[in-house]
Amino acid sequence: MSNIFPQSANKLPLQIIVYLVVLSGVLTAGANYYMTPKYTRVGYAPVQPVPYSHALHAGQLGLDCRYCHSNVEKSGVANLPTAQTCMNCHNQVKKDSPLLAVVRHSFETGESVPWVKIHQTPDYVYFNHAVHVNRGVSCWECHGQINEMEVVVHDKPLSMGFCLDCHRDPAPRLRPRDQVTNLDWRPADDATQRALGDKMVRDWKIKPPQSCSGCHR
Amino acid sequence: MKRQFHHPAPAAGEAAGPKYWRSLDELAATPGFQAQLAREFPEGASSIEGVDRRQFTKIMAASFALGGLGLAGCRRPEQYVLPYGKSVEGVIPGLPLYFATAMPLRKSAIPLLAETHQGRPTKLEGNPTYPPHGGASTLRAQASVLDLYDPDRATKHLVKGAEATTAQVAELLASLGKTYADAKGEGLAFLAEESGSPTRARLIGQLKQKFPRAVWAEYEPVQDEPPATAARACFGRDVKPIYRFAAARRIVSLDADFFHAESGSLYYAREFAKGRRVTKPDDPMNRLYVVESGLSLTGSMADHRLRLASSHIAAFAAALAGKVMGSSPLDALAQGLEFKDQDKWLAACAQDLLDHRGACVVVAGAHQPAAVHAIAYALNAFLGNIGTTVDFVAAGSSDASSIEGLATAIKGGSVRTLLVLGGNPAYNAPADLDWAGLQKSVPEVIRLGYYADETSALAGTQIAAAHYLESWGDARTVDGTIVPVQPMILPLFNGLTEIEVLARLLGDDKPDPYTQVYLTIAGLVSGDAAKGFRQFLHDGLLAGSAYPKVAVSYDPNGAGTLFSSTPKLESLSLHNLEVRFITDHKMDDGRFANNGWLQECPDPITKISWDNAILVSPRLGKELKIDPKGSLLQVARVEENEFEIGKENSRVFEVTVGGRTIRGPVHIQPGLSNYTIVIALGYGRTATGHVGTGAGFSAYPLRTSAAMHFATGATLTDTGTRALLANVQEHWSMEGRDLVREANLDEVAKEGGPGLAYVKGIGMESHSPSILGEVGTEMTPGQRATEIPRGGSMYSTPKFDGLHQWGMSIDLNTCIGCNACVVACQAENNIPIVGRDQVRRGREMHWIRLDRYYSDGHADGAAFGGEGNHELPEDPQISLQPVACQQCELAPCETVCPVNATVHDNEGLNTMAYNRCIGTRYCANNCPYKVRRFNFFDFNQRQLDSLYLSQLGPKGMPELVQMVKNPEVSVRMRGVMEKCTYCVQRIQNGKIEQKVKAAQAGNPGDVLVPDGAIKTACQQVCPAEAIVFGNILDANSAVSQAKAHQQDYALLGYLNIRPRTTYLGKLRNPNPSMPDYAALPFSRTEYNAKNHPGGAGEHAHGHGEAKEAGHAVSAVAKNLGGLS
Repeated sequence: MSNIFPQSANKLPLQIIVYLVVLSGVLTAGANYYMTPKYTRVGYAPVQPVPYSHALHAGQLGLDCRYCHSNVEKSGVANLPTAQTCMNCHNQVKKDSPLLAVVRHSFETGESVPWVKIHQTPDYVYFNHAVHVNRGVSCWECHGQINEMEVVVHDKPLSMGFCLDCHRDPAPRLRPRDQVTNLDWRPADDATQRALGDKMVRDWKIKPPQSCSGCHR
Repeated sequence: MKRQFHHPAPAAGEAAGPKYWRSLDELAATPGFQAQLAREFPEGASSIEGVDRRQFTKIMAASFALGGLGLAGCRRPEQYVLPYGKSVEGVIPGLPLYFATAMPLRKSAIPLLAETHQGRPTKLEGNPTYPPHGGASTLRAQASVLDLYDPDRATKHLVKGAEATTAQVAELLASLGKTYADAKGEGLAFLAEESGSPTRARLIGQLKQKFPRAVWAEYEPVQDEPPATAARACFGRDVKPIYRFAAARRIVSLDADFFHAESGSLYYAREFAKGRRVTKPDDPMNRLYVVESGLSLTGSMADHRLRLASSHIAAFAAALAGKVMGSSPLDALAQGLEFKDQDKWLAACAQDLLDHRGACVVVAGAHQPAAVHAIAYALNAFLGNIGTTVDFVAAGSSDASSIEGLATAIKGGSVRTLLVLGGNPAYNAPADLDWAGLQKSVPEVIRLGYYADETSALAGTQIAAAHYLESWGDARTVDGTIVPVQPMILPLFNGLTEIEVLARLLGDDKPDPYTQVYLTIAGLVSGDAAKGFRQFLHDGLLAGSAYPKVAVSYDPNGAGTLFSSTPKLESLSLHNLEVRFITDHKMDDGRFANNGWLQECPDPITKISWDNAILVSPRLGKELKIDPKGSLLQVARVEENEFEIGKENSRVFEVTVGGRTIRGPVHIQPGLSNYTIVIALGYGRTATGHVGTGAGFSAYPLRTSAAMHFATGATLTDTGTRALLANVQEHWSMEGRDLVREANLDEVAKEGGPGLAYVKGIGMESHSPSILGEVGTEMTPGQRATEIPRGGSMYSTPKFDGLHQWGMSIDLNTCIGCNACVVACQAENNIPIVGRDQVRRGREMHWIRLDRYYSDGHADGAAFGGEGNHELPEDPQISLQPVACQQCELAPCETVCPVNATVHDNEGLNTMAYNRCIGTRYCANNCPYKVRRFNFFDFNQRQLDSLYLSQLGPKGMPELVQMVKNPEVSVRMRGVMEKCTYCVQRIQNGKIEQKVKAAQAGNPGDVLVPDGAIKTACQQVCPAEAIVFGNILDANSAVSQAKAHQQDYALLGYLNIRPRTTYLGKLRNPNPSMPDYAALPFSRTEYNAKNHPGGAGEHAHGHGEAKEAGHAVSAVAKNLGGLS
């Protein structure tokens, strides 16, 4: 009737504490990684109703982004092309392809092609394409190397932190306005980019909002 | 411990501000009201009701169970982007399109620009191309877009109870036309609303040719244009007056509420404000005399207001004419007129008019008999005002039959088919006609109606009408300019327009309303018709189509015929009351009864929402013995301490006139003529949608064709029952501090006086050194914001380093309190309605409220309990003040938010990040202006009648209602605080638009938004242009210039929270020779009585040396001696 607990039990409180610390650390780290858009959104590549290849159209054929996303410089939303836009070419090219049946149907009936939305901000975020592309932020900054994607993949996290990185220091991510839709444009080196960015920030009075009201209304 | 924001307590005897009172309760300082003052939200606003702990646990258990089920679907929902099949011309997804259209109302219309998002109209603004309105619009125009998406509107055509297609209806109309064409229209009758539409007039012309024996009758329950008989008798031709208030220095209103009830009220309000605005001490300012029975918006702006029964107005007009013209043949008419200081009043008023010949105007209310209008015309002619302040235009005449004529025809049995086009006669026809019975006696009734309402219920065939935003049509504004009514969207429920119905009946081979309108306009434009029509649609008006101005000369003999039939003056008493029926501010004649925005908007004067009431004067209240026990004051609502805040426990009375009786709650309204009771029309609908049914009571059963607008011989009897009214007048009270600062013009204009800086001599700031220091005082608001942003505060705030610094200025001198800003804000910012029950609990969500204060010059001493309070508050002065978030630079709400949901941006906006808010409501607690609103329920997603079912109730917004939401603004959810954001979506979009425009023009550095490019919703709608918004960094911006005026002051400025919204003080312009002249506004009299009880100069507490302005004001008070 001596010891209920063995000697080794003396270490138990310490072990529990260490265990809890490690567990909470793992949980925190896990949540920080797995529950952020970096994990939950990046890599999202849903199957689309039409197997449209950006690699083919924007890459090989060299169509400008704005041929299809025609209002991106005017409007807050970068519109998807109407079926009519597709039919501009596809009434000649591959005009009987079964893959394009959906598009032809849409053109004839006016019913929309149900494209699955990939890049999406929450409802309380009011992102505006026009102001970004008109002021030297390339499509590439948020959408990645679209012109090499067979299937569009969510490439960047588009989290609030992602936005703020650039809004706090826009200079490294600015480029001449005529290169905005050129997804292959790269600065010569970091110093050139910094010089270019700083000049644009100064001359164009680029001062991206960092307050809530910039994006939330 | 609860942290309290310590204001210097306005304890008895040393209250700092002029004592305004918003309600009789406040004046009475009842215990209930005192308790209310200390509360963050009105009583009951923050307590759960009807749910005990046990029930709560049960509901929560159910919620958790459901939550568990929900976990199964833990995948991101797939969303789709749906582009058009074929590109739509002009449509850029994400950008709104604007089209010119107009809202027709009776014979006039308000030209509008409709904002559409991918084909759905969401917001209406005034069309700036029409100069008389300058882009402003009205309360009802703002709210009318909601009617389009009303789930309760008529959605199908019914022929003899069976649903019919549009084609079937068309066929029915065509065959009807054929049948009656042979009989030349014998047996066919129409009852329509008044309209200014040229196309309709053209079709009626054709109708009369094809069906010469048909009856065309028009009926409007309320009158908004002067009776045509008056002008015909006085001038021998069909003309109507258009007033030019901007040119009028003296205005006399004879029971005319030209801010609201008259056609053209928007134009008139705007013009009046132009003549009212004062920016320099020597600016001219108009003077307004109002003689009226009720307390109207116009009356609330009056410099001299005489309470007089509506039936005595004719006598008053005759007496005034006698004084002005020296001798008058009308003296007989004035016999029996009696009011206090009558001779002095009339003489001084007449002299003032004579001193301003050609620059004054006399306006008679549209509801007054022709004789009153004739006298007003005579006065204007005598004073040389015709051609300067009043123009007569040839508006043409209508030969439509009246509803009485139609009723006679129906009784005679000669009507076999009756078409009721719009209107709602079964609800609002004169009671003596027994319209319901008449309509039932007609074999075939066809009704074109927007709702399945009282009239539709009695019609065999019901045709669903199209909203004006889904119709092609045309209309005329008050000055006759032809404006297009363009559809923004295809008819949602295949509704038809009146034009189409008529055209089909006529057998026109192109009956579609577009062609009909095109044909009309093509006949009016010169040159290429198609081009002219396009221009017409583009501009939203047909240039040069206004009614021609005509020279008229007054013919006393012709006018004389009108006076012979004027009834003798009847003296009024408790047993012989006068009832005055007024056009409601919101419901109009009842047509807007199912509009939630309008129902929830409080009445501008009574502040009652969702109901109407029988308004009685305090004296009548006392005689009816509804004054409270133990109170010196005649307060209806504190009786037996049954008053709960926001719930006006009013007594229900019966009104009887000529054997007809209605019952309704009584509300004591200071400022009424002693024995006139005022009832707003438009309530008590029995067949409309969910919103309108059951709101208020109908006064139409009292109205007879002989007495449409006022009737005498009424009595009131107590039914002994009570009704709760949702009265918001005590919500969001600020303890009567120096909120509205006012002065008289003569004090301001006096040499050596304080001038317009009088505002600096009022309030806490006048008793302490400037909170901004000497340096700060000298700075402009823009400099203050950027150079001393923290104002010595220990809290670090973001630097105001934005390119723009937003600010607002509100001119209290021109604000007429019309409430248009309240609903404009609601439409722009997706503000939900909460329903009558929630308003009673003080949970209304309006971001702007219009405070209406009374002051009568007698309240004095210890918290209103002093000697002066024995007086009946019969002649109060009204002060109006719109209050929204003041965007404080050192905002108290921000320091208490535990989650930084409300913080500043670098352009000075006090922003609200809804998705961060956790709903602690600390911010509302700490807001000195009480402008924050909390979503106690998910008002957007839940039905108003099942709010308390919470998760168990039905969820989701009807699709139709979703369509009215502004896509640029988040729809807030339960548990989130919200408030005015200066329309941040407009600011951001304005800035983006400027940046895009500049970049595309090759000048990307030009990012400064030009002044006036961004307008807040309240500013844009304001008929009086009282609200100015813009960049205070730009010294030339309109807002900087407004803030530079000397009468600029900050609300509760002594708190040093540095609000970005400031106010321009109010001025009154009384006539020193009038018997009711008071040298100071009543509120100032009370202010001085409290703060300087021993007379001016003997200040008990120290003043700084720089207080000259304050002393000057006090000196004026001293000179007045024992005033009040």
